[in-house]
Amino acid sequence: MKRYFRLHRIFVVQYLKRLMEYKVDFLLGAIGLVIAQAIQILFIGIIFSQIPKLQGWSFEEILFIYGFSLIPKSVDHLFFDNLWMVGYRIIRKGEFDKYLTRPINSLYHVLVENFCVDAFGEMLTCILLLGYAIPRLSLPFHWYTIPLLLVVVVFATMIYTALKIMTSAISFWTKQSGHITHMLYMTNDFSKYPVSIYNKAVQAIITYVIPFAFTAYFPASYFLTDSDPLFCIGGTVIAGTVLMTIALFVWHRGVNAYESAGS
Amino acid sequence: MENMIYVENLRKEFKKIIKEPGFKGSVKALFKPNKEIVKAVDGISFNVPKGEILGFIGPNGAGKSTVIKMLTGILMPTSGKCVINGQIPQENRKNYVKEIGVVFGQRTQLWWDLALRETYSVLKEIYDVPDEKYKQRMEFLNEVLELESFITSPVRTLSLGQRMRADIAASLLHSPKVLFLDEPTIGLDVVVKENIRNAIKKINEEEGTTVILTTHDLSDIELLCNRIVMIDKGKKVFDGEIAALKRNFGNVRTFAFELVNAADFGKLDYRMQYRLSDDDITVERDKNSVTIKFNADKVNIEDIIAYTLSKVHITDMQVKDVDIEDIIKRLYLKGVDV
Amino acid sequence: MSRVKRFFRTYTPFTRSGMQELIAYRANFICFFLGEIISAFIMYFVWKAVFLSSDSDTFMGFTMEDMTVYLFIVFLTGYMTYSDGAFAVGEEIIDGSIAIRMIRPCSFEMCFLFKEIGNRIISIALIFVPMVLGVEVYRYAVTGEVRFNLMYFGFYIVSTVIAYMISFYFNVIYGFMAFFFKNLWGTSLIKETVVGFLSGGTIPLAFLPAGLATVLNFLPFASLAYTPVMIYMGMYSIGEIFGYMALQVFWLLVMMGLSKLVWHSAVKHLSIQGG
Repeated sequence: MKRYFRLHRIFVVQYLKRLMEYKVDFLLGAIGLVIAQAIQILFIGIIFSQIPKLQGWSFEEILFIYGFSLIPKSVDHLFFDNLWMVGYRIIRKGEFDKYLTRPINSLYHVLVENFCVDAFGEMLTCILLLGYAIPRLSLPFHWYTIPLLLVVVVFATMIYTALKIMTSAISFWTKQSGHITHMLYMTNDFSKYPVSIYNKAVQAIITYVIPFAFTAYFPASYFLTDSDPLFCIGGTVIAGTVLMTIALFVWHRGVNAYESAGS
Repeated sequence: MENMIYVENLRKEFKKIIKEPGFKGSVKALFKPNKEIVKAVDGISFNVPKGEILGFIGPNGAGKSTVIKMLTGILMPTSGKCVINGQIPQENRKNYVKEIGVVFGQRTQLWWDLALRETYSVLKEIYDVPDEKYKQRMEFLNEVLELESFITSPVRTLSLGQRMRADIAASLLHSPKVLFLDEPTIGLDVVVKENIRNAIKKINEEEGTTVILTTHDLSDIELLCNRIVMIDKGKKVFDGEIAALKRNFGNVRTFAFELVNAADFGKLDYRMQYRLSDDDITVERDKNSVTIKFNADKVNIEDIIAYTLSKVHITDMQVKDVDIEDIIKRLYLKGVDV
Repeated sequence: MSRVKRFFRTYTPFTRSGMQELIAYRANFICFFLGEIISAFIMYFVWKAVFLSSDSDTFMGFTMEDMTVYLFIVFLTGYMTYSDGAFAVGEEIIDGSIAIRMIRPCSFEMCFLFKEIGNRIISIALIFVPMVLGVEVYRYAVTGEVRFNLMYFGFYIVSTVIAYMISFYFNVIYGFMAFFFKNLWGTSLIKETVVGFLSGGTIPLAFLPAGLATVLNFLPFASLAYTPVMIYMGMYSIGEIFGYMALQVFWLLVMMGLSKLVWHSAVKHLSIQGG
């Protein structure tokens, strides 16, 4: 375990060295993500210029949920972005061979090999949104609010990462699965708004099938209203644990089915 | 001697979707994909004693890389068994790969954007090499593979030859007991090839590393290996020393000479004289030089020379021993049935 | 006549290969599309909530039915007019293989164009037709009358084709920027978000402050999606339709001219750098 932490540090250091070499590209990526979020927020602003509340939620509350959704998303984006490459390229080109000839866990190796500082664009937006919304909302605060928030961030990130692990592991059988990851990953956008605005089918899907609702709306609504912690927080913990268990299982099976490339 | 590698009846099957060519083919594949099982490796057995360099050869698509990938734990065999260094590669992969080194000539294992030295320091951690040992090892590898001149350059800027040396060094950093080299000389020029062969030889001699080498370059085989395993269409077609290959697969010898008078060539007809089929003799002529390759089991070298001298005047002549390249070329062309 | 024939004989194989490529990678293609269309559905639900929370039946002049048609048709138009030329050109510039293009006897951008046309032909069958049908069925279900207007639809098709051509040349120009930015990912993210917004992809331009909306209407970005969609919805009079389509043609000519210019300077740049 200690060795894995040391390895992690070494990969981060190497990544930062590389980052210095390509800093303009990374900066542009981060700016792109800030602009993308800013346009969405402008959209919310235009809506609220015409109506006082959206199905009972105020402007600040909506911004809080939106900002909250960016926490696990950006954490996953920052640390576990290399999974996209697994589904799009690494397996198809046979580059996965390398990971299997190393004496460390292949999933761990793939995960720590790359980071994506573009995610700081999302983090910045997240901080700005929460920084704007929180002082304008009277959020309930207990001694356990901060620890609980940390727990939620860990398990909500696990939901994101587990879905990416699962879908990129499909490429062990199909050679390429980046598009499947893309399809499922995009549903995370549903979690930026209160689930009550969706119809029953969509609600059921984002709660029980692809449980992105637990990465933002449910925990965020608990922190806003202090109600139903068992479902809102417990659900996040359960969803994260279950998905990660399935993901690790699928990955393990996938590695055994790996066919490499070429002759 | 004890066996380092033990392979028994190893098989690997792949499912393959056959697509007919053209637009119609793609439409058809849309509705009814045509699946077929391909036997990439079809029951191969062999052993490698500790400290041996084994040449693993065969035509393209014979299944060489598939075997190597099973031996290195990358692929799961469909059936059969391999035990290397007392371990089954797929069973405890993480533990197993600590003691092996792998180089795929077509693909680098180094980090593209990192300076070469950084790559080694990351690998040091991955393989958990102690500081003192690492220092010694780098000195040794530096001496054998001459890394000094480019060790501070990013991997992406290295030439192919440098990259290959760097890759081989990377695979040896943790002092593996077995080294797998898949096409380590592919695309390299003669000087670099020589350099790499010497390094492999040296490591094998000094550390007793067992080496499995696949290659298309037969000089690699002749210079490095005492023994070869040849496979074709997933099956083993030959296993033994190079001398035995020469004995078993046609004793081809070469007789070359220069004619004084090029027009004399018409007087020579070896096929008629000795009743040889096309498989047993080939005659090539370029102006005054004539090269004859023949099966020494069917006809004596003395007879050929005597016959030639009785018919024509020659200025220079040369007799060459069995050429492994020729044997293998002939086997590839004919396809082997065993 | 024979020149025209030869032109098509040279480039139709690219169209065929574009079609084959899409069929071969159909699963990727459909998954990708489904991932993209999610954003339109989210917008739909958000707007539905907005209309439910509002006292009036209209939002800045749009009914919920208008809004829905707008959302899906603007998505569809953006999707159909999206061009990958930027990456195709950019990658070739970065890895140097563009040098080979210059010694081939066919036009560089025409190869891409005809390949993309092949892609589009399949997309029309798999995506365009079902989506337009879906939108019209929805309109019929909500209003109880057929709102489909063949004339507007005809103008919409013409306008969308021009929009695609603008997008194609715009992206070719952008692809040449790879000379200056080594990596296209960051800048193309910026490009896509900004272009998406300026062409009305997120919000109808009419919802923006009046002055800004007027300016945006005349920029080339509105020509990419907003103009065809407004035509489809019957928001423009015949006079306006011709006016805006003339504007589209103007921007198309500008983009074509610019792409020639960029191509020539790129060739010069390449011969200096040596590819």
